[in-house]
Amino acid sequence: MAARNPVVINEHDVYSLTKKGEEELRGADTSLSPAEIELLIRTDGKATVAQITAAVRAFPRDRVVASLQELFIGGWIRTAPKPDPLDIVGFFEAPVPKLSAAAMSKAKSEAASGTATLDKRGHYVRIARRSAKREAKSETISVVVVEDEPHLAKFLKQYLSFEGFDARIAGNRSEIMAALRQAPLPDLVLLDVMLPDADGFDILLKMRAHPVLKSVPVIMLTAKATRESVLRGLAGGADGYITKPFEVDSLIKAVSTVLGLPQNPGSGTLKR
Amino acid sequence: MTAEAFKRQLEALSADYRRDLPKKLALIESLWLELAHGAAQPSRITDLLRELHSISGSAKTLGVAGVSEAAATAESFLEPFSKRGKLPNAAQQAEFVRLLDALKRAGS
Repeated sequence: MAARNPVVINEHDVYSLTKKGEEELRGADTSLSPAEIELLIRTDGKATVAQITAAVRAFPRDRVVASLQELFIGGWIRTAPKPDPLDIVGFFEAPVPKLSAAAMSKAKSEAASGTATLDKRGHYVRIARRSAKREAKSETISVVVVEDEPHLAKFLKQYLSFEGFDARIAGNRSEIMAALRQAPLPDLVLLDVMLPDADGFDILLKMRAHPVLKSVPVIMLTAKATRESVLRGLAGGADGYITKPFEVDSLIKAVSTVLGLPQNPGSGTLKR
Repeated sequence: MTAEAFKRQLEALSADYRRDLPKKLALIESLWLELAHGAAQPSRITDLLRELHSISGSAKTLGVAGVSEAAATAESFLEPFSKRGKLPNAAQQAEFVRLLDALKRAGS
């Protein structure tokens, strides 16, 4: 039997399914082991090998790598094309996408409870997300803070950095462009509504219409906790709200919930 | 960074914010005087509103709660005029000046 070329699998590599891999998952019969099937399921074109390894805790890393090598050689998976976070040319020049009637209608039912929660707690989170990256503790979570008040922006950066995040701050259009273009793609955007040369809700809509940025969680930072503004954010696809001026406790709770991070009970800090 | 060092960093930031506050309040007063004396277009109420909004949304987080509240009150008062692009009438202007005075007192 001829020796096969070894496939080098690195921690930061990202793989996606081939047509054969997709058919394998859809098919009734399979020649693959349950462990390999689980790897196929997790090979989504987004998760790195490190993230997959962290997520599949039942198997040691060596076994995960060996299985991925077999799946690659067998033609079930391939190297995923890298999404280009730099491709946001014309982000601000493009027209603001219109909200659909369906999105507005869906958000209406949630806006009242969202506003009430904001009034009571200072934060409101719509969706608790948990991705493979959260489980790969070795990877730093990056947050873009869009805030034009320089002291508040610095406060957020210092606080998030203390909590172990990689925080980038942006206060206007050009800084937002620079922050979004900087690799890696952010895991979260904290988005102020009233900016000197842009509207936070418009930015949200543009992000949700963008092929790369659409899946990035967004928490709106807003002093306007009215039903109208909550409705606008929910319909536009915001994952949460924090009312300004905010308490650190509200910030932590909203960020941890949206990112699926547990909090250290009683400590006021995030458990990483 | 230790928790103690981090706390000192935040305290330094708060102190810096307090030092800058008089300049921000002076800018607000100057914008208002320009508007009230007809030296600026009524549309510049938006600029004034933005400055008030910025303070109301940040001061409490940075340790000056009373300033946030006073700025928020002034902002709420002014917002309907900003939407209409019209200046308040004389009585309303007097009320706004009172709110600005309260803001200055909170920031001093």
